Amino acid sequence: MRRRWTAGVVAACAAVSVFAAAASGTGAKAGGTFRLGTSSRIDSLNPYVAFNQDAYSTFEYIYPFLVQYDRANRGFAPDFARSWSTSKDGKTWTFKTVAGAKWSDGQPLTAADAAWTINTDVKYKSGGAANAAGLIAHITRADAPDATTLVVHYSAPVGNVLGQFQQLAILPQHIWSKYTAHKGADLKTFANNAPVVGAGPFNLVKFQKDQIALFQRNDSFYGPKPQIDEFGLQMFSNDDALVAALKAHQLDAIESVPATAIKTLRSSGFTISDVPGVDQTDFIVNSNPKKPKHRELLDPRVKTAFDHAIDRAQIVRVVFLGTAKPAASIIPAATGSWYNPAVKPTSFDLAQANRILDGLGFKRGSGGIRVANGQKMSYTVITPTDLASVNRTFQIIQADFRKIGVQLTQRALDSSTAFDAITAPNGKYLNFDLAMWDWVALIDPDFMLSVVTCGQYNGWSDSGFCDKRYDALYSKQQLTPNQAKRRAVVWQMQAYLQAKKPYLWIATEDSVTAYAPSWAGLVNSPQGPFNSLSKVSLTSVHQT
Amino acid sequence: MRGADYVIKRVGFAIVTVFVAVTINFALFRLAPGSAITDLSRVPHATPELRLALKKQFGLDKSKGEQYVIYLGQLARGNLGVSFANEQPVWSNLRTALVNTLPMVFLGTIFSIVIGTLTGVIAAWRRGTPVEAATVTTALGFYSMPTHWLGLMLVIIFAGVLPTGGMTNEFLLNPSFWTHVKDLASHIALPSLTLGLVLYGEYTLIVRSAMLETLGEDYILTARAKGLRPWRIVRQHALRNAMLPIVTLIALSLGYIVAGAILIETVFSWPGIGRAVYEAVLQRDYPMLQGAFLLLTISVVFFNLVADLLYFKLDPRITE
Amino acid sequence: MSEVAVEAAAARGGVMWSTIRRQPSATIGATVLVVIAVAAILAPWIAPYGVHTQVGPVFGQPSWSHPLGLDDGGIDMVTLLMWGARISLVVGFAATLVSMAIGGSVGVLAGYFGGRTDTVLMRITDYFIVIPDVPLMIVVAAIWGPSLFHIVIVIGILLWTGTARVLRAQVKSVRERVYVKRARALGAGHTRIILRHVLPQVAPLLIANTVLTVAVAIFDETALSFLGLGDPSRTSLGKVIENAFQRAAISSGAWWAIVPPGALVALIILACSLVGGALEDSLNPRLRVAHLSARTFRLRPLVGRGDAL
Repeated sequence: MRRRWTAGVVAACAAVSVFAAAASGTGAKAGGTFRLGTSSRIDSLNPYVAFNQDAYSTFEYIYPFLVQYDRANRGFAPDFARSWSTSKDGKTWTFKTVAGAKWSDGQPLTAADAAWTINTDVKYKSGGAANAAGLIAHITRADAPDATTLVVHYSAPVGNVLGQFQQLAILPQHIWSKYTAHKGADLKTFANNAPVVGAGPFNLVKFQKDQIALFQRNDSFYGPKPQIDEFGLQMFSNDDALVAALKAHQLDAIESVPATAIKTLRSSGFTISDVPGVDQTDFIVNSNPKKPKHRELLDPRVKTAFDHAIDRAQIVRVVFLGTAKPAASIIPAATGSWYNPAVKPTSFDLAQANRILDGLGFKRGSGGIRVANGQKMSYTVITPTDLASVNRTFQIIQADFRKIGVQLTQRALDSSTAFDAITAPNGKYLNFDLAMWDWVALIDPDFMLSVVTCGQYNGWSDSGFCDKRYDALYSKQQLTPNQAKRRAVVWQMQAYLQAKKPYLWIATEDSVTAYAPSWAGLVNSPQGPFNSLSKVSLTSVHQT
Repeated sequence: MRGADYVIKRVGFAIVTVFVAVTINFALFRLAPGSAITDLSRVPHATPELRLALKKQFGLDKSKGEQYVIYLGQLARGNLGVSFANEQPVWSNLRTALVNTLPMVFLGTIFSIVIGTLTGVIAAWRRGTPVEAATVTTALGFYSMPTHWLGLMLVIIFAGVLPTGGMTNEFLLNPSFWTHVKDLASHIALPSLTLGLVLYGEYTLIVRSAMLETLGEDYILTARAKGLRPWRIVRQHALRNAMLPIVTLIALSLGYIVAGAILIETVFSWPGIGRAVYEAVLQRDYPMLQGAFLLLTISVVFFNLVADLLYFKLDPRITE
Repeated sequence: MSEVAVEAAAARGGVMWSTIRRQPSATIGATVLVVIAVAAILAPWIAPYGVHTQVGPVFGQPSWSHPLGLDDGGIDMVTLLMWGARISLVVGFAATLVSMAIGGSVGVLAGYFGGRTDTVLMRITDYFIVIPDVPLMIVVAAIWGPSLFHIVIVIGILLWTGTARVLRAQVKSVRERVYVKRARALGAGHTRIILRHVLPQVAPLLIANTVLTVAVAIFDETALSFLGLGDPSRTSLGKVIENAFQRAAISSGAWWAIVPPGALVALIILACSLVGGALEDSLNPRLRVAHLSARTFRLRPLVGRGDAL
């Protein structure tokens, strides 16, 4: 999954600075406009159309969600639902929602809106609401017996119910029910332009594509109200302009600060917040058991030798200037307890790599390139052009692989073409040998674990990995509602992948934010301070 | 009638060119590997359902021939279709982008025409003097600089003095009229200046050449011999005749400016038509690409036509 | 080859060199080009460091051992400039070769045969003139994948129209000359006439045109690289600028990573323009108006496609 999406984790949400408790806090000034700059963009304000991360962060702040992530305990915190319970068989979930809440146009917001949203998504999941289909998997229907009760029925006990609802925005029925004609296809035609009817801590009052999204405090919000009057997200098309605007005090904060600019920003008095992220770069080895050529790449010993030839420390130093950590597992450490700490980054050891390859009898031929099964160990590595770090990373890996007698050639393609080249022909994963890309994990491990299942062929899979034993483990964690038991399975899966190595994980990027010292209370997360994990960051930010 | 025939022929040719362009553009984008579906369905909650629904909705399940017929039908009704990326009408997306690009391009072009004509005339008139050498060298210098690099140099020079990104200060809430104008002017200054400087170099060279050519004509020599004041010769005789190539060249270049502005838009975070095309390519947003290319082709064909007709009107020797 | 033609060609070749010698601007341009080209060709042997070798910190400052500092990969900038010029010049000349081959054939055929061939070829040319070329380059480079070879082909395919037009006019006038007519009357075939009589006549102009096209091709490559569509494994000057821009060189104060490569591109384009312009002046009789050196300047891709009127 690509940079367009960074759904993720609340987990390591270190408060950016001392969090002045509540509005009454120590010298906190209420009011003001908080101006945040980004080099990302909001593609659409319609949840049935939008794909970009910043669009989902926008929904987090303008729409009610049943639950949100909790900064402190890495679990779930109440949002529109105040409490929830599960039936014994795990197939019925009951949510108690806030009483007396209102939409921004004054209409009542009740459990019926939530039920309508879920039922609409279920009804049109193969049509207009297909964008939400992944979030309502196994749901048969939802009811609202009264204004503050929501009952959701499942066809099977599901392991990540709250993780799914954390991503599902509740929409105002009285607005959206007009757009269900043509079998729900009309849901996508609605531009949902500002001012948007919502019920979050902010109202979106102005939106200009690729320029600005301006939010105003919603005084009738049912939860803790923001301390600022307004919040604006300004979009830039390059990092230099972004940093320059912060330096010129046209912005108060910027997200995803380029690593090279950190030093000068710090010396001009800005505060830098650097927390572990969930974006991991990887080196992909085609692991399709049916692969016809270069079958030596299917051997975990060869992959281990490659793993030993990746100088993660050097990559972190040169490519990320220290704002990343060597990566090891498909589940990043920032997801908290889902990460299996026994899975550690492979050591950089060229001698060991050479010993392994020598031991396999792959002798060096002309030009020092090894020969495996009669073929030169010379491979093309597919890389996407929109991943900024990939070129420098490739150069470092290429130089070290030469020392173990393996020749790499880069083939840069734009992401759409790159994915086609990886899945070719026709989603069978037969042609490619190696590739590099990145994954941005969610807090719930289900999604990341799914990308290496056989079922994701021609879907999410970019490794061609297909393993019956792994798939069985995947189904097991999916249908284990007990979170401790589920975690044990998740840990087991990580260890299994570490041994099979469809991915050689390279580095986990930090989430770096810079802001003016006149602000406090901003909560950074693996997704940055403006995220779709919880409503806490912008409701607690305030001037000092 | 010499005039009518010519005009009809040129207009007819322009229409054919646009049609050919429409067809080639349609084919070109669809030959590309990758599709909007693989790009758009790359979100964690994507399901096979989503991919199927998108494919059907975008009409990508139909054969290329059918898609072409549908596209032509839409076009005939003046409908550019709906963008894959944000599912809004292509025309409204394009209009937003154009409205952003045009003022920046307009200001830069005016700047370059005024300065370019002035320096070009001076260079031609002061031929063989250090003035000419200095003017021409400067013009050539700017002409040679990569556009985006020149923009970046201006960013380095003016950082902190003028805003280097965005179109307005979006956080000026309810500004007074003058504050708003001042804000707009400060934001548009650098991108327009970049465009203006690059074009100015070129226009100077063009104007100088055209002027030199006219200044060598007999009637100018006669006027000089008659002792007319130099400025009067330039204004009344030379410039007037040199206007022909100048005007046509400028008309010709206008069509390309919008397309070429993409480099400047990238440097200055200007959400214009160039960026829109670039994003559309990466997302395989066929309707947006087709719409944008149609618009760009029409603008180029139109200005070419204008140049042709102008030439025809101004130069009686053309009879073809 | 008939004696007249040989003499004419020799005379033209002579004009070329004397032009470069006589006009100070052309002399300067040619000298600059030669110096840059020599440094670029010898880069593998005389560059102070390896082009992939990290020799210091990211964006290391200029020092005695690294007069222009280091880039975003800690690589010596002087080395990068030499290698970058090498790749940029290769792209420039290769793309120009492609465009000369296409433009030359179209121009010669259209001008020589005239009539229907001329009409059809010129209509095709007209179409290529109206395509918005920068967006098209983006489309093609993005679709095919950014490799040096693709970039060369794309630029070449989009740049040939100017050459075709200039040559067509020239060939038309050559065709009407006495010795060509006589050769035809004597029963010489078209191929023979074109190769023996027409080409030598228009060759010098083709060369002048080449030098100008190289400048535009180098510019185009720089622009494509800047948009992230350059070949990541070949460090052209455009790529050096893009690398620095991608890593926010300006914000981090590393002006040395971004100013010199662009200045070098400007210098190469300037030198090409000086030489090409001077050559065109002395070779294209239409442009040599009396004693005045009027000439057409090529519009650059920002505004045009490299051919003015």
